Amino acid sequence: MSTPFSLFIPRDSGMHRLHPLTKLTLVGFCLVGGLFFPGIWLTYIAFLVIILPLAAWGRILRPFLSAVIKTTLPFAVSLVLVQGLFWPGGTPVLELGPLSFKEEGLIFAARGTGRILMIVSSFLLLTFTTRADELMLTLSQKGVPDNIAYIMLTTLQIVPRFQSKANTILDAQRSRGLETEGNLLTRARALLPLIQPLLLGSIVDIEERAIALEVRAFGRRGSKTTLLVLHDTTWQRVMRWLLVLATLAVLAWRIYLWLEPRIQG
Amino acid sequence: MIRLRDITYHYPRATTPALDKLSLEVPAGQLCAVIGANGSGKSTLCYALAGFVPHFYRGQLSGHIEVAGIDVAQSSLAEIAGTVGLVFSNPFNQITGARFTVHDEIAFGMENMGVPPDEMRARIDEVLRFAGLTDLADRSPFALSGGQQQRLAIVSVLVMRPKVIILDEPTSQLDPVGSKEVFAVLRDLAAAGESTIILAEHKLEWVAVFADRVLVLQDGRLVADGPPREILTGDNLHDWGLEPTRYTQVARSALNAGRRDNGEALPATLEAAVEYFR
Amino acid sequence: MTIAVEEVEFTYPGGANALRGVSLRIGSGEAVAIIGENGAGKTTLVKHLNGLLKPDKGAVVIGGNGNDAPWNTRDHSVAQLAARVGFVFQNPDDQILERTVRAEVAFGPRNLGMPEAEINAAVQSSLEQVGLTDAADNHPYDLLAPQRKLITLASVLAMRTPIVIFDEPTMGQDARSVARIGEIVKDLKSAGRTVLIITHDIDFCADHFERIVVMADGRVLADGAAEQVLTRTELLATTNVEPPQLVRLAQALGLPHAPLTIDGLVVTLLQ
Repeated sequence: MSTPFSLFIPRDSGMHRLHPLTKLTLVGFCLVGGLFFPGIWLTYIAFLVIILPLAAWGRILRPFLSAVIKTTLPFAVSLVLVQGLFWPGGTPVLELGPLSFKEEGLIFAARGTGRILMIVSSFLLLTFTTRADELMLTLSQKGVPDNIAYIMLTTLQIVPRFQSKANTILDAQRSRGLETEGNLLTRARALLPLIQPLLLGSIVDIEERAIALEVRAFGRRGSKTTLLVLHDTTWQRVMRWLLVLATLAVLAWRIYLWLEPRIQG
Repeated sequence: MIRLRDITYHYPRATTPALDKLSLEVPAGQLCAVIGANGSGKSTLCYALAGFVPHFYRGQLSGHIEVAGIDVAQSSLAEIAGTVGLVFSNPFNQITGARFTVHDEIAFGMENMGVPPDEMRARIDEVLRFAGLTDLADRSPFALSGGQQQRLAIVSVLVMRPKVIILDEPTSQLDPVGSKEVFAVLRDLAAAGESTIILAEHKLEWVAVFADRVLVLQDGRLVADGPPREILTGDNLHDWGLEPTRYTQVARSALNAGRRDNGEALPATLEAAVEYFR
Repeated sequence: MTIAVEEVEFTYPGGANALRGVSLRIGSGEAVAIIGENGAGKTTLVKHLNGLLKPDKGAVVIGGNGNDAPWNTRDHSVAQLAARVGFVFQNPDDQILERTVRAEVAFGPRNLGMPEAEINAAVQSSLEQVGLTDAADNHPYDLLAPQRKLITLASVLAMRTPIVIFDEPTMGQDARSVARIGEIVKDLKSAGRTVLIITHDIDFCADHFERIVVMADGRVLADGAAEQVLTRTELLATTNVEPPQLVRLAQALGLPHAPLTIDGLVVTLLQ
């Protein structure tokens, strides 16, 4: 099931066996929580107490952490540097040689990083533990049109396909004397002969694939069947409702915080 | 099963027609090979029978196309799917990307048609065996070789049990043994009355063995129509940009070199050639 | 120019399609066909000849007798080896990058540093050889797929390399184009070039190639004169290859030997 064209990591775990809708609801909660949790630290607590244990339960802890760090760290570093160093009129709180970090900037960076951490890690948790075709089926059952689900599913495949095509094209051009080894300028110039074949070739591929999809009745409107069997349980349904309530509670709390000074004043 | 009346088609912005006043009738259960030089209109005819001309390729189409009772030009591609199947030459582009194992990839078309799961599983097993892909059922379709992908592309359409199957050079990546196997299955499907098959091909040796009928296209026009042996041993093959099989060439050469002419028909296949020279 | 493949072993990073100790010596001006089932290692072997792949063990040496220095492929880039080994790939759409057929065919020669006058001459004669002179100023994509294949053929011919390798050149081509490609092979042979082909078209093999190398499972199963190799029906069957039509006929009729030409067979039949 794991292929070069998908992010899914196959494991035998409870997390993997959860219905995709449950995991989608969790992502929804994390999205809202990540955006609207008050304070700085709730997002980090949610990550440590909810998301991380789920990743452990899914037996994907190491690749999960590696992916979380790879995606979140660049944001964290740039936030700390940009906001920490350049917060206008801020209170210096940390001096490192000529660099002076402002307290307000660091707080902003901490809050922002927490948000990104919670949202991104929940998406990673979903994609690593959910088969893409099961996810697509769930979306279809909830009314997402087939072609949108298909695009969501296959967008990730474009990158490895492009890479593989680019390599084939590069091999062909090298065989016609195009020098690709050497200094940076030579290597950069070697990229130009890739463009036309890559684009035109990809257009032909996309056209033919669209034809193949039509032949396989993808555009048909009637009822469709599936070989997939999704298992849902009562306690998952309960959990989903709790998550929805929690999400609404966060929104309500946020609205209250926003309204409070206006009511009082 | 297939009825074309005066079909003329121009690709967008083309001055010469790709299909030129073509008329044709194919009864059910026939394996009809379409041969002709490059650019003669074989592929265009295949796309027209499946509705992709004009629904996909636009351009101007005049005339009447009826396939399995469906007026192809007036119906949508979704209505045509399942009744008419198309397999084209590039196997990689026929992998949908929506499924992650060979097994599920084959199921995709049937799922869209609403076939019950048990029926799907039975058909998939049958078709995996035919294609020699049973051991690869759990692999990703992208991890197969070109030849394996081509077999996968063919069976993914066959499994939908279309009434009419159109194949445009479906064996380009297969070695000779593999090609023969595909043609044999197509012949069996047609003979069992389960499907009507249109096969555009260059490999005349196998056309001679497996086809019930041969159509020759030239510049978008139907210039010959008849049984394989008659067409492939005729004198006009060169004018149409084609070359007869070696078996025919040897027989002709032997006659020219002094072999007595008993008035028997020239052979186009190995079997006929053996008969001829005994 | 000669080709020396010495005990080459190769495994792809994924583990597939290995070469398990292949040795081959091809003399200057020889015409060799490499046949065998899909996955036998034919393309893998041939990609070692222009440096696209480098052997894990063993060596590939291009040239070395006569005036040209021997080049171990490990010591040269693919672009450098392109001056000696021309490679016609299967899919033309993987390389067409110019807006006219003429410019496309000139790409290779220009990379090799040919002087402008020589490039023009080379492009002109290659286009004539493939029959695309009238289409020289068209955009390559205005031509049908089989004709685009002829463009890639012309592109390599124009590079005037001493060694030319064809990977499935007749796939999807009609009889006229196959005949034209056959003429091109003949011309290359008369010009003393070394010609290699990978093909499933066994009849085309028999028509034009005197030496046949049969591969299966990353190894060379047989290597010899066409008359000998193409009649070994059982051996060929192990790698999914069927003998040429004429050989099959001769064997089915129980003839004493199986010629590879129509005239040869007719003579045998009338005896």
